[in-house]
Amino acid sequence: MPDGFGTDHQRIDGRAKVTGGARYASDVVVGNVAHAWLVTSAIARGRITGFEDAEARAVPGVLEVFTHRNMQGAVAETEFFAKGGYVGSTIRPLESDQVWHAGQIVALVVADTLEAAREAAQRLRVRYAEEAPAAGFDAAGVEVVAASDAGFEDAGVGDADSAFAAAAVKVEASYSTPTQHHNPIELFTTTASWAGGKLTLHEGSQFVHGLKHGIAAQLRIDPADVHVVSPFIGGAFGARGSITQRTALVAEAARRLGRPVKLVPTRAQGFTIATYRAETRQQVKLAASRDGRLQALVHEGWEVTSRPDAYKVGGTATTSRIYACPNVRTKVHMVHADRNTPGFMRSPPELPYMFALESAMDELAYALDMDPVQLRRINDTQREPIKGLPYSSRNLVGCLDAGARAFGWERRSPAPRSMRDGEWQVGWGVATSIYPAHIGTATARVTLLPDGRARVQTAAHDVGTGAYTAIGLAAAEGLGLALERIVVELGDSDLPPAPVAGGSNTTASVCNVVIKACEEIRARRAQGQQGAIEVYAENVPEGLPPDSIGKLYQGRNALGGGLEGGKQAMAAFGAIFLEVRVHDRTREVRVPRVLGAFAAGRIVSPRQARSQLTGGLIWGIGAALHEQTEIDPRSARYMNDNMAEYLVPVNADIRQVEVLLLDEQDTQANPLGIKGIGELGNVGTNAALANAVFHATGTRPRDLPVRIEHLMA
Amino acid sequence: MRPFSYDRAAGAPGDAGTTWLAGGTTLLDLMKLDVMRPERLADINGLGLAEVRLDAQGLHLGALARMAEVAGNAEVQRHFPVVAQSLALAASQQLRNMASLGGNVLQRTRCPYFRDPSHAACNKRNPGSGCGAMDGANRLQAVLGTSDACIAAYPGDFAQALVALDAEVTLRGAAGERRMRFADLHVQPGTTPERETTLRPGELITGFTVPAGPWAARSLYLKVRDRESYAFALASAAVALDLDGKVVREARIALGGVATVPWRAAEAEADLRGKVLDEASATRAAEAAFAAARTHGENAFKPELGRRTLVRALLLAKRMEA
Amino acid sequence: MTAPAESGGLERRFLLGGGAMLPLLAGTATAQPTPATPAHEGRSMEMTLQVNGQAHRLALDSRTTLLDALREHMGLTGSKKGCDQGQCGACTVLLDGRPVLACLTLAAGVGTRPVITIEGLHGRDGGLHPMQQAFLDQDAFQCGYCTPGQIISAVACVRQGHAGSAEEIREFMSGNLCRCAAYPQIVAAVQQAAPLVEQG
Repeated sequence: MPDGFGTDHQRIDGRAKVTGGARYASDVVVGNVAHAWLVTSAIARGRITGFEDAEARAVPGVLEVFTHRNMQGAVAETEFFAKGGYVGSTIRPLESDQVWHAGQIVALVVADTLEAAREAAQRLRVRYAEEAPAAGFDAAGVEVVAASDAGFEDAGVGDADSAFAAAAVKVEASYSTPTQHHNPIELFTTTASWAGGKLTLHEGSQFVHGLKHGIAAQLRIDPADVHVVSPFIGGAFGARGSITQRTALVAEAARRLGRPVKLVPTRAQGFTIATYRAETRQQVKLAASRDGRLQALVHEGWEVTSRPDAYKVGGTATTSRIYACPNVRTKVHMVHADRNTPGFMRSPPELPYMFALESAMDELAYALDMDPVQLRRINDTQREPIKGLPYSSRNLVGCLDAGARAFGWERRSPAPRSMRDGEWQVGWGVATSIYPAHIGTATARVTLLPDGRARVQTAAHDVGTGAYTAIGLAAAEGLGLALERIVVELGDSDLPPAPVAGGSNTTASVCNVVIKACEEIRARRAQGQQGAIEVYAENVPEGLPPDSIGKLYQGRNALGGGLEGGKQAMAAFGAIFLEVRVHDRTREVRVPRVLGAFAAGRIVSPRQARSQLTGGLIWGIGAALHEQTEIDPRSARYMNDNMAEYLVPVNADIRQVEVLLLDEQDTQANPLGIKGIGELGNVGTNAALANAVFHATGTRPRDLPVRIEHLMA
Repeated sequence: MRPFSYDRAAGAPGDAGTTWLAGGTTLLDLMKLDVMRPERLADINGLGLAEVRLDAQGLHLGALARMAEVAGNAEVQRHFPVVAQSLALAASQQLRNMASLGGNVLQRTRCPYFRDPSHAACNKRNPGSGCGAMDGANRLQAVLGTSDACIAAYPGDFAQALVALDAEVTLRGAAGERRMRFADLHVQPGTTPERETTLRPGELITGFTVPAGPWAARSLYLKVRDRESYAFALASAAVALDLDGKVVREARIALGGVATVPWRAAEAEADLRGKVLDEASATRAAEAAFAAARTHGENAFKPELGRRTLVRALLLAKRMEA
Repeated sequence: MTAPAESGGLERRFLLGGGAMLPLLAGTATAQPTPATPAHEGRSMEMTLQVNGQAHRLALDSRTTLLDALREHMGLTGSKKGCDQGQCGACTVLLDGRPVLACLTLAAGVGTRPVITIEGLHGRDGGLHPMQQAFLDQDAFQCGYCTPGQIISAVACVRQGHAGSAEEIREFMSGNLCRCAAYPQIVAAVQQAAPLVEQG
């Protein structure tokens, strides 16, 4: 019985995961390994003036203490990820005495055992000349740069300010979203070993070819001499897409010591040696005619980034294109502060910016005395308003209708504070979700064996998304086989390259190229070819340049689709319905149920798709209610850099979660009509929650996370 | 983590250099963070001391009984609900399986300036260095029992039940065994926040006795926290009531999440005595409980949340069938 | 009033945990602690750990946690390090039948108590344990990193009688963080496996 697209199946990598047999990076046993421990900066801005390392070096088993004194020049400067390079931060630790941010790596201690490495790291004293840091928005000394002055385009059309001034009904409000950290449960581990001038890296990665080429550039070696092994990744969420600077340091330490080196950084260090979701401040103005049709949308944002790197969140590219609105003005500013460089975190632009837009839409609905579902329905469009591009497919209205029906929305009493269950105020909220549908240039090798088994090889990544299973189902579909007969190999830089596991592109990118290879195999079989048939295929999606294959082989991504380029706008849509209960006295906010209805093209692997969207909805709840990295404004240090005080939802926080998947055939977005779903579930969920809190309490949360103290008035 | 010697303690008293290892859930954590640097660990897990017994005098708890055992004990749940609930609502099931009662009451503050030695200012960790929390990240820190030197909150839950019910603690040291009021175990920071308890060097907590009383059965622990489970209290209340119809004969109240030590709210208890328990009297008592509160920016919400928590707890206890 | 129902369990724990200490405890009257094992200054200690039914003789730094002993010295990497501070639950193992955090347990303190890790779970036929099968069927994980700890806690959840309702399961399982947020599926998996896992 052949399997294929839409087959409900357990994960083909699942058995390894439930038995403990799946080997994540730090699980790989490497002989004669030495253990590394990081020392990170206690100050956010200034210079290192000296080290007292005698005590550290005296710890039995210590092999070396690496600092800028002996590492300067070891790691080459490379280009920032957002500029087409590899690294998520251009700040090179151990390159000089300069401290750019709190928690910057200032030393790497290597010892025979991890106990000795940790002790020595803790005994190392670092002396600093400290300068007052700028921690964020309100600090003296930040540098504000308009994104348009840094090469980014602000979306706009018509004359939004005049239209706003003239409109009948309007709302205007400021919103903010906090710093958040990915906190995958797997730490940011790296094991590096050298043999015959060749480097092997065991490191969880969302882009093994990027890591291979980036590390080669950093260490000035031939990329052919780098092998990255990353078959299992213990959560990524964007944190493992660009290269962090710790990898080159571990590799260099191993090279100098002539011995494999394993680094397992602490949870706290993960907050500062990798990236994070930058905090934002936003201002939204919406104006409508009395019938609810939008007349003007103004969306401005301010985002924190590091001193040297222009990382832009920039969700206005999305928020300007969702609703029919003739007059749109957007503007984004980057605020450079003494912080580590932020980066991509699950739905990087959409999560914070859709919070503001979808909260403002709720405010507008109240100003119009209109049902918020109806307001979104009225402003639906099949063309994005900025360039007038048609959506390749779009069924937001279907999501709103199906979701409202399943949720029982018609039983909602619209007035704030009008629903209650005993001591708990009850509120229902709704918001739109959108995520751009991306597809990238990809390659794969598919081999059909004479006994009817097949193998798929591609350097794509399963970060928990179910990519192994989805790609296996594509081969099953393409070859007419049962999934059990297919072996899928991913996450290894010796395999044909595939794009970064980012922007929810993997399923679309890889399934399309796998199907292409399978078609070739079938053609050859039809021509009578005997024996094993091995086909290597490349796929350059429509609109991407032919040389993107060559670039991919250099570890550089080419992603197309989405909302901004090409002849069409491509996106998946959803509608989130959410119920909160707020205790009338002590103000705890709990979420008894959430429902997401999604139209996201062809669903390749339904069981894993539901898990992705379920997890996304829960991420959205966490983003709205729990997650916030707290910063001491005096020191620019992260204060809750652990899993006891950086709160993510626990099992008891999550009750009923329902996912509805609408049928959607998109014949335009890509040949298979696949849209990504990995980031769709958590977009808009934060706004749905805040809107529900307003409905329950009459208090409008405009600053996330929504906490007890904000609801005490 | 610094090197240490590891012994299995055999029951003899320790000395100033001895650090007792029971569940290890606080100790190992703080050793990994380099905050605690014991030179000699004496593992007391072989000493027994795991009694859980009820008799006419009350509830007898060995210091090495695990939180989970006591939380899940049906007799404790029935006769001393506040004790069982305070344990069940703390930490996670794994931590409750590991952590001993004796260790739990000595759990140290979660103040971030204390828990990371790279923060220069912490009077508790490094006397005289200042207090980072006073004008810093202090959402979770205390508003009662603070001083100019320290506002670190006591993070535990069980201790509130003990202090509310006038428990006694039994200690074993070089001079033999002694008993004292549990309320005298913790000390407010004052000018010496590094001194957290009245334990003498090498002294070991061996057990607790919670006296029986007419209020014990009508008791509960209410914990208000950001998450539904597995989070420290923003505010909590341990309450026990002896009612004569609607009138309060005796109220026992302790507050958590808001104070530097397990906090007995004696003013609130006095306020309620002889009154009809209702919204108004509970509110007045809660106001009395927080009359001396001092806030420091981020934790400005705590007195109000603490008051509301106490009112809710009192009205819940009133409705209990006891 | 009656003696607590769990007293039998406490005695059993006591004997397994430190039975060898009893005569010393009864007989000691000296001022100095009587070490049952020689003191070590952060250097190598010899010990034998009983893991998944096998005895492992090891020489470990006194500071080595059970988690690091399993992962770095026995090649048992199913138990994961997610925080190393007792906050995430990824290192959950059964110690003497109870779920504990291996990252906050000193290897030296384990003694003769049996340790069961994910590698030691299996069904009657030697295949998957019913809880492992349920996690697979319900898609109760995504990246899979927290999964060994989740499954160990889930087995304990049923064995200790905490799987009576979804609410009870959710509370019991709250010490195991899942960043991919497979929580509803985890609850479903515990419910699926509960009738097949023996209590007690």
